[in-house]
Amino acid sequence: MIIPVRCFTCGKVVGDKYEKFQEAIRQGEDPAAVLDRLGLHRYCCRRMLLSHIDIIDSFMAYSKVETPEANQ
Amino acid sequence: MEITVLYRDNETIHFLVEGIDVAFANALRRTMLTKLPAMAIDEVLIIENTSVMYDEILAQRLGLVPLVTDLESYNLPEECDCEGKGCSLCQCTLTLEKEAGDEDLIIYSGDLSSQDPKVVPATNGIPLVKLAPGQSIILEAYAKLGTGQENAKFQPVSTVAYKYVPIVTVDTSKCDACGACVDVCPKKIFLLDDGTISTQNTLDCTLCDLCVNSCEPGAITIDSKEDTFLFKVESTGALPPEVIVEKTAELLKEKVRQALDFASSL
Repeated sequence: MIIPVRCFTCGKVVGDKYEKFQEAIRQGEDPAAVLDRLGLHRYCCRRMLLSHIDIIDSFMAYSKVETPEANQ
Repeated sequence: MEITVLYRDNETIHFLVEGIDVAFANALRRTMLTKLPAMAIDEVLIIENTSVMYDEILAQRLGLVPLVTDLESYNLPEECDCEGKGCSLCQCTLTLEKEAGDEDLIIYSGDLSSQDPKVVPATNGIPLVKLAPGQSIILEAYAKLGTGQENAKFQPVSTVAYKYVPIVTVDTSKCDACGACVDVCPKKIFLLDDGTISTQNTLDCTLCDLCVNSCEPGAITIDSKEDTFLFKVESTGALPPEVIVEKTAELLKEKVRQALDFASSL
């Protein structure tokens, strides 16, 4: 759904690094170098970012916002 | 016992401890993981949540956000005078109130506003939830001190690891300087220079023995010091790494004292 707050295996905080990671990848940087720079040295934390697919945007497309007009 | 700090930054500390045994090293590690208290959100009151995320998932994500811990001003709820009901000495309230306007809005851990300016999220950039236009979130979260024994979210450390200090020796009389160990070592410990093998950064050695297997019998020996340990402590941001180690040593000392008192009362 959205990037997990922590690494499932070791408990390191990875949530705050996902946006920086995405941004750097979009600029065409090498994922391995970006992960090293972000301080994710263990492969458990690296897979958290590498294998993540953000699907919250797809959910949001179907979300219903309750407005006063809709309730009438 | 002698301690040498090899490296430290805001969230990690690497140090060597000489003159201890495995039992003590492991006791230190386990105390850091399970006994040292840290703050985390433990109860969430959701007043409004029209986002696509379920209340439970949102509450779980809030719980995992590391909070800067002030060990001096807060008590563990079970040791508090209020008997765990929740008073200002053992509980801190954080609130979150956000509504998305005409555009999508990402709610970050930094959007939580705390009642106590000292107890704040350790990092402000953790995305908690994303709101579509018109959606809103109003909630109140109660943070308390707890230990890793109760829930891993209370651990002030993400990883604590120790290893034996490796001793890498090259017997020059048996070494034929073929360079196989240079290629095979994953940590790049060996250097081939003018037909002789030298070693560098031997602390990085993982004791994998690949060099020994690739070499003439007896030319390279990998051994480890029995009484020296290399500790790597990584904080979640709740407490500074050196404070973690200091407080752990105090806790361990206190536990040993209790055990001795008990033993002598028998």
